[in-house]
Amino acid sequence: MIGLPAVLLVSAALFALGVYGVLSRKNAIGLLVAVELMANAVNINLVAFSNHWGGVAGQVFALFTIALTVAEVAVGLAIIILLYRAHKAVEVDEAAEMSG
Amino acid sequence: MDKLLLAEAIVLSPLAAAVVLLVIAPLRRNHAISASVTILATTVSLVSALLLALDFTGNPDLAPVQQQWPWLPAGGHIMATVGVYVDAISAPMLVVVSLVALCVQVYSVGYLGHEPSNDRGRYFAYHALFAFSMLGLVIAPNLLQLFLCWELVGLASYLLIGYYWTKPSAGRAALKAFWVTKFADMGLMLGLMVLYVKTGGFDWTVTPASTLQTIDHEWIAGLLLMAVVGKSAQFPLHVWLPDAMEGPTPVSALLHAATMVAAGVYLIVRSYPIFEGAPTVLTIMAWLGGGTALYAATVAVFQDDIKKVLAFSTCSQLGYMVAALGSGTLVAGYFHLTTHAFFKALLFLGAGSVIHAVHSNNLHDMGGLMRKMKPTAAMFIIGSLALAGFPMLSGFFSKDLILEELLHAGHIVPLACCVLAAGLTAFYMTRVVMMAFFGEPSQASDHAHESPAVMLAPMALLAVLSLVAGLLMGDFVALKDGYAGFHITALGMTVSAIGIAAIGAGIWRFGPSRRATPLGGPATIFAGLVAKAPVDQTFELFYRRVLDRVSAAAGWFDRYVMDGLVNLAGYAVLVAAAKLRKLQTGNVGDYVYAIVGGLIVLTAFGVFGGN
Amino acid sequence: MAQFAFAIIAACLLGSGFQAVSSRNLVHSVLWLAISLVATAALYAFLDASFLAAIQIILYTGGVITLMLFGVMLTEQGTDTGITNASHRRIPAAVGALATFGLMATALWQGAPRGDAAGEFVTAKQIGLSFLTTHLLAFEALSILLLAAMLGAIVVARRKDP
Repeated sequence: MIGLPAVLLVSAALFALGVYGVLSRKNAIGLLVAVELMANAVNINLVAFSNHWGGVAGQVFALFTIALTVAEVAVGLAIIILLYRAHKAVEVDEAAEMSG
Repeated sequence: MDKLLLAEAIVLSPLAAAVVLLVIAPLRRNHAISASVTILATTVSLVSALLLALDFTGNPDLAPVQQQWPWLPAGGHIMATVGVYVDAISAPMLVVVSLVALCVQVYSVGYLGHEPSNDRGRYFAYHALFAFSMLGLVIAPNLLQLFLCWELVGLASYLLIGYYWTKPSAGRAALKAFWVTKFADMGLMLGLMVLYVKTGGFDWTVTPASTLQTIDHEWIAGLLLMAVVGKSAQFPLHVWLPDAMEGPTPVSALLHAATMVAAGVYLIVRSYPIFEGAPTVLTIMAWLGGGTALYAATVAVFQDDIKKVLAFSTCSQLGYMVAALGSGTLVAGYFHLTTHAFFKALLFLGAGSVIHAVHSNNLHDMGGLMRKMKPTAAMFIIGSLALAGFPMLSGFFSKDLILEELLHAGHIVPLACCVLAAGLTAFYMTRVVMMAFFGEPSQASDHAHESPAVMLAPMALLAVLSLVAGLLMGDFVALKDGYAGFHITALGMTVSAIGIAAIGAGIWRFGPSRRATPLGGPATIFAGLVAKAPVDQTFELFYRRVLDRVSAAAGWFDRYVMDGLVNLAGYAVLVAAAKLRKLQTGNVGDYVYAIVGGLIVLTAFGVFGGN
Repeated sequence: MAQFAFAIIAACLLGSGFQAVSSRNLVHSVLWLAISLVATAALYAFLDASFLAAIQIILYTGGVITLMLFGVMLTEQGTDTGITNASHRRIPAAVGALATFGLMATALWQGAPRGDAAGEFVTAKQIGLSFLTTHLLAFEALSILLLAAMLGAIVVARRKDP
C-alpha cells in the first residue's frame, strides 16, 4: 500500500517541526509542546517499522515510549509550576541565574 | 703474616676508628677514649706499613701486594674497582703518612689539653677520617679510588681547618680551602674521564705500546696537573694554604705540610707513566714548580705570623717537588717528599709548642725563648737546618738531588729559581729562629714554659728522622730509577755555600739589633712588591665582576624564561577558561540550542561521515 | 484509495504540527497539538496498530493535553496567554530544522527497506502477552518509573509549609 519510505518521511518532517519549535519557543510550555511533537514522530517511526517487519516488538516499544513521555510531561509541568512560583513568569530566559 | 691482611689492615683500621667515633657519640665525647681509639688505629696502620715496606726496601721490582673488589658495574663488565695495592711506590709513602700522623696525634693530646673535653673527641674522629682517606689514597689500585680518597681528604681538611667553628675566620678559611681545591679537582675529574674514554679503564700503567698518543698523554697529564696545582698549593691556586693556618697547629703539621698537600705530588708519582709521555707538561711542571718555589720563598721572608712563614715555606718546597718531577725522574721529587714530611712536620709541631707557650702566633711577641724552652728550640733549629739544606741533614740530600736532576734535564731557568729559593729559604728560617728564640724576650716570653713530654716526644722522633733520613732513605725509596747514592758535585757545593752564607746573613741581620723588616736595596724592594702580589684580590675581582654577572644572567633566564613559560601556560588556561565560561549563559534556550546543534552534527557525521 | 487516505492524514498531521509550534496563542498551540495527536492515532490505525491508536488517544490526547492545559492555566500571567517565538532565533531555528529534516530524510531514504509490508494485524492480546513474557523486566521497570515520576512531580510542585 504505502511504502515505508513515505511514512518515514512524514515522521522526519514532524520531527523537524518539533526541532523548529524547540529552538525558537521562549515559553516553557510551548517548548514542552514541541518536545511532544518530536516524541510523537519517534513513535510513528517505531510503528511504521513494526508494521513493515511484522511482529509486535515495535509497538511494544512505542507503548513504552508513550508511558515515558507522559511521565516526562508530568514532571516537566511540575518544574514549570515551580519556575512560575519563583519568577512569576515561564519564559525560559527568565531563569538565567546560573550563568557563567 | 699474610701480606694481604697487613695491606688491608693499613687502611681498614683507621676506617673502623673513624666509623666508630663518628657514629657512636658517647665514645666521641670522651676525649680520652676518642684519642686512644684513633692512636691505636694509626699504630696498627704504621706497624703494618712498616712490615710491608721492609720487603720492598732494596728490591723495587717485587710483585705488589694487591687485591681488588668490583665496585661499579657497567654494560656487562666492571667499570671500576676498589682495593689495596702496595708496591715499591706506595709502601714508603704509607710509612711516612702513618708515622707523621701518629706523631701528630700523640702531640695533639698535649696541645689540645686546655680545650673543653666535650669537643676534643670530634678532633680525633676527624683525624681518624683523615688517616683513612689519606692511606686509602696512597694504597689505591686505580686512579678512581685515588680520586675518591682525594675528595675525602679534602673533606677531612675542611672539617679540621674549621675545627674552631666559633671563629668566623676559621669557617671562611675552611670554605676557601674546599672551594679552591674543588675547583682544581675539576681537572682531576676531567682527566680521569679522558683517560677512561681513551683506555677504557682508570689504570695508570699506560705503556708506550698502549693506544694512547702523545696528545692524549698531554691532555690527561695537563688536566691532572691542574688538580695538583690546587691540592699542592702551586701558584696561582696556592691562596688557600696560608688561610688554612686557622686550624689547630697539629692539623697544619699533618695536613698542610706533610701529607695532604703532598697528595698532589703523590698523584704525579703514581701516574708517572702518563706524565712520561707528555714532554710539554713536564716542562710546564718544571717552570711552574721553580717559579712557585721562588715566589713563595720571597713571600715567606715578609711574614710576621710564624705559621704563615711555614705555610709559604711548604708551598715553596712543594714547588721543588713539582719541578723535580718535571725533570723526568721520580726519585728526586719523591725523596724530597718524604724528607720534607719529616722536617716540616717537626717545624710545625715546634711552632705549635712556641705558640702554646706565648699564646700568640706573631713573631714579634716571641723572643729569647731559648732560655725557657731549650728542647723545643734545639729541635726547631734542627728542623730549620734540615729545611735549609744544611750539609748532611736530610733536606740536603733530597734538595741536592733535585737540583742535579734539573740541571741534567736542562731546565736552567727553573734551576736558577730553585737555587735562589734555597738561599731565601735559609734566610727566612734563620729570621724565624732568631726572632723567636734569641734576642730580647718579649712580654709574653717571660711567662713561657716548656711543653709537656707528650708533645716533645713526637717532635724528638721527627727530629731524629730529619737528621738521618737522608742517609737511610736512599734505599728505602727504592724506585725503578734507583738511587745512585750521594755524590759531591760542583752544584751541590755551590748551593751549600749559598745556604750557609744566607744563614750567616740572617744571624747578622736579625741578631742582637733585632730589626724585623729588611730594608734598603732594590732587590728587597722588588721582593717586597712581589710579596704583596694581589693574587687573592684578583680572584675576588674575577668572582665579583665575571661570575656574579654570569650567575645573575642565568638567574634572570631561569626566572623569566623557564618559569615564564610555565606561568604562561597557566595564564593561558585562565584566559581560555574565562572565555569559555561565557558559554554557560544560564539560559535554557541556549542550552537547547546547543543540544540540537550537537545532535545535527552527530547525525550528519553518521549519515555522511566515516564508517 | 489508501494513498489518498494517507495523504489526508499526513496533511492533517503536519499542518497541525506546524500550527502547534508557531501559534501565538498558548492555548491554541496546545489544542493544535491535540489535533496532531489524534491524527497520529489515525496513522497508527492505518498502519494496523489499532490498540496503539486507542492508547494514543486515551493517554496522549486525554492525559497529556489535559495536563498541559492545567499547566497553562496555573501559570497564567494576567489574562493574556499570548506567546511569540523568540525573534532572534527564528531563522537559525528554521535552518536547524531544515538541516535535521534533510539529514534524516537522506538517511531514511537511503536506508529504508523497500518492499511490501508484512501487513500483520497486531492485537491487544499479542501486546499483552509480550508485556508479560518477553518484555516483563521492562514492564516492571516502567511501573517503577511511573511511580517515581508521580512522587517526583508531587514533591517538586507542592507548596512548602510556611
